[in-house]
Amino acid sequence: MSGASHFVEVRNLSRRFDVSKPWLNRLIEGGGRRYVEAVRDVSFDVDKGETFALVGESGSGKSTVARMLVGLMSPDRGSVTIDGTSITGEASRSEQRALRRRMQMIFQDPYASLNPRWRVGRIIAEPMLALKVVPSSADAASETARLLTLVGMSAGDMRRYPHEFSGGQRQRIAIARALAARAEFIVCDEPTSALDVSVQAQILNLMRDLQQELGLTYVLISHNLAVVRHMAGRIGVMHAGRLVEVQPARQLFVSPQHDYTRMLIGSVPQMSSAMRRASSTRGAPCP
Amino acid sequence: MADPVLSVRDLRVEFPTRRDLLVGLDGVSFDIHQGEVLGFVGESGAGKSITGAAIMQQIAAPGRIAGGEIRLNGQRIDKLSRTGMERIRGRHIGMVFQDPLTSLNPLMTIGDHLTETIGVHLGLGRRAARDRAVSLLEEVGIPEPAERLRSYPHEFSGGQRQRIVIALALCAEPELVIADEPTTALDVSVQAQIIALIRRLCDTHGTAFMLITHDMGMIAETADRVAVMYAGRVVEIGRVADIVAHPAHPYTQGLIAAIPSLETDAERLRQIPGAMPSLSAIPDGCVFHPRCELADDLCRTRRPVLAGEGDHRTACHRTAQAEYAP
Amino acid sequence: MTRTTNEAEAHGRSVWAGVWQSDLCIDFRANRLVLVATLLLAILLTASLLAPWVAPTDPFDAMSLDVMHSNLPPAWQQGGSTEFLLGTDDQGRDMLSAVLYGLRTSIVISALGVLLAAAIGISLGIVAGYFGGFVDTLIMRTADVQLSFPAILIALLVDGILHSMLPALKRDDSAAMVIVISIGLSFWVQYARTVRSSTMVEKKKDYVSAARLFALPSRTIMVRHILPNVMSPVLVILTINFGLAIITEATLSYLGVGLPPMRPSLGTLIRIGQEYLFSGEWWIVAFPGFALAILVLTLNLLGDWLRDALNPKLR
Repeated sequence: MSGASHFVEVRNLSRRFDVSKPWLNRLIEGGGRRYVEAVRDVSFDVDKGETFALVGESGSGKSTVARMLVGLMSPDRGSVTIDGTSITGEASRSEQRALRRRMQMIFQDPYASLNPRWRVGRIIAEPMLALKVVPSSADAASETARLLTLVGMSAGDMRRYPHEFSGGQRQRIAIARALAARAEFIVCDEPTSALDVSVQAQILNLMRDLQQELGLTYVLISHNLAVVRHMAGRIGVMHAGRLVEVQPARQLFVSPQHDYTRMLIGSVPQMSSAMRRASSTRGAPCP
Repeated sequence: MADPVLSVRDLRVEFPTRRDLLVGLDGVSFDIHQGEVLGFVGESGAGKSITGAAIMQQIAAPGRIAGGEIRLNGQRIDKLSRTGMERIRGRHIGMVFQDPLTSLNPLMTIGDHLTETIGVHLGLGRRAARDRAVSLLEEVGIPEPAERLRSYPHEFSGGQRQRIVIALALCAEPELVIADEPTTALDVSVQAQIIALIRRLCDTHGTAFMLITHDMGMIAETADRVAVMYAGRVVEIGRVADIVAHPAHPYTQGLIAAIPSLETDAERLRQIPGAMPSLSAIPDGCVFHPRCELADDLCRTRRPVLAGEGDHRTACHRTAQAEYAP
Repeated sequence: MTRTTNEAEAHGRSVWAGVWQSDLCIDFRANRLVLVATLLLAILLTASLLAPWVAPTDPFDAMSLDVMHSNLPPAWQQGGSTEFLLGTDDQGRDMLSAVLYGLRTSIVISALGVLLAAAIGISLGIVAGYFGGFVDTLIMRTADVQLSFPAILIALLVDGILHSMLPALKRDDSAAMVIVISIGLSFWVQYARTVRSSTMVEKKKDYVSAARLFALPSRTIMVRHILPNVMSPVLVILTINFGLAIITEATLSYLGVGLPPMRPSLGTLIRIGQEYLFSGEWWIVAFPGFALAILVLTLNLLGDWLRDALNPKLR
């Protein structure tokens, strides 16, 4: 990999959160502002067409990184560059819109990420019209139908409301919405952690198929090591706001470098442990 | 074979609504023996939590137990009055829930929680109750238990809180503990500790555990036997090692194959098409047939019952053909 | 063509079936009290809004008044006439017509007042909740200060200030507008508080984050995404506030700062009527009072039901 040509470049990303009281309380009660360091000095690169995963436990700062990657949150320090354009710098509205078009996000909770009062057709058409991907709402409608079929649903689902669908179907709708913007770079924040395993497999397979078909670049945020290993080419492990280790997926599990990574891998419940336990001394619990 | 601690036969739970009658559980039967962990695994809506709630008689109205029987140490408990059930709860059956914060009163110290429960169930004096509280906390792995008695729930981490809830459930040395998704709200590293704790308590106290979870890995690590639930029915039950290695029901096979593994590589995960039916649209015949590749006319019309030799039983017409190839 | 029409028809029918089968509708149909209240309210509303066509006479047409018919009791009493079902007042005005016209004035003015209050409250609440920080503090502390005064006092205050600010306008002409503004300014706080807290919940949901990813301006997100999702509690407040506003309007009119006797509301009618209470003409005050009580009661019943029916915790 040469130095300058990565699709996504993240450099020294840092963010702290203001946890101080409202200004009127500070004014009257005294006391200054207080901060919590959520993300410290995180740097990594993602190549085009690759899946890069960030894994970590709750409070590790992985979701904060995800939000900064797509510009939902601005970093205190550091930069995010996508295909040579900085998303953290000053940009005009049209430049911003052009950037937004290229990157989208899939959220954890498919029950909260779709507006419950809107029909599916309007939900998927919104980014196309807002980002001026299509010229007219008639084009948006036909494109919506195409996208719904692409994610394994039917065009007729356009007329229905989100509450009429299961969690997995809603996540498909959310994926269709991200694709509606013609995004090339999609940040997936725990896309399957609210779903059941059999549905999780459907969504993970769909994400892979779409990646191969459309050449998408993913950043996958997850707490689930098995999901991350299955999906990602490279994995970054986050702990207490820092990126402690980045390795190719298979290698990370063979030779983890950091103590925290070793502990994390060691605590994942394994299916094979049932056989190990069965063959060990304590076998028959019931007399 | 000794009598089971808990014996459930043909349990049926109904939820009458304004429009129709929803059947939450249908024909659920199982036994739990002393010192055994019986895992209940299934996806959301499969009825595993309803099973736990039915045993505790905590099904939210208008839901009701409409049939079958539940026996604890041979005594029927499904027809008990409210006060009768209150005597069973805590004393004979302990409970651990997903979110430890909701099971603890934020205004009471940990010491108050424990000594109150011990006092009610065991009738010990204050000094003795306190001593027991300290030893329980020590057993579940809370450091400096005597000092921490004065702490409030919010002063503990999530994992420690779940340990305290487990200590509370064990206060009266119940014969059975029902744990509903005890580790779901916890991080992986803490999860592993709680699994180890449940295993250890089960061995040392001889307590029977009913472990409800959606996580097959958790079952594999913790349980002795497992009941796989789907749409309010037990579709397969048997020893964990048998079921993990040789799942017989097509649903169990699909469920296990759908889990990404840390040990094997797969380009694509095996997926079960569709989703579990909602309670208002339970199909006729085998409840799994609309998603099953092997379904034939018999599956579409007749309900299979749990059958098989020995421990490992499956509710499937096509079990013989449905061998799992890893 | 025919197929599309059929589809559209089928679609339309299924929408109605959906509404009829919805939890809210089933709940509504099962609740007798609410059914009766709604029926009564519907009768009162249509009768009063159609007053010019329904009422036997026009009570404001001075030409049609006849002093010969003054102070007649209701039709079923000794000396009553079937021409004036509910009797007449001292000027020979038909009480039934007066009550219908009074209802109309009360309802229209209160509705406008409540809508104004809702408009102010919803806008300020959504802005406070969405932006937070200084804007939020400013709006909500103002609301707190205002909440420490009774609504009727605010209304009196606004009324006084507006009248001194607008001396050029003839008092009688501006009276209706002054009352609408008074009600609007004294009732907005409740909307603002409710909408602010719902907005703070909604803005954290990811459908709002997704909308931000489409580079939509804040105004569009607030109006298109958040507003429809914070409206159901507002609906409940609207219904209950409508009743309160009618009482406030009646109180203001009763106190003499409201609508003039030339275009009486229920409150004005009650004020006029009470002077005759001791001379035995009870009907002049009783029927406007009765109409007011029924109107407010039905609105409150409906509002209470709506609050419970929309509360997911009580399901």
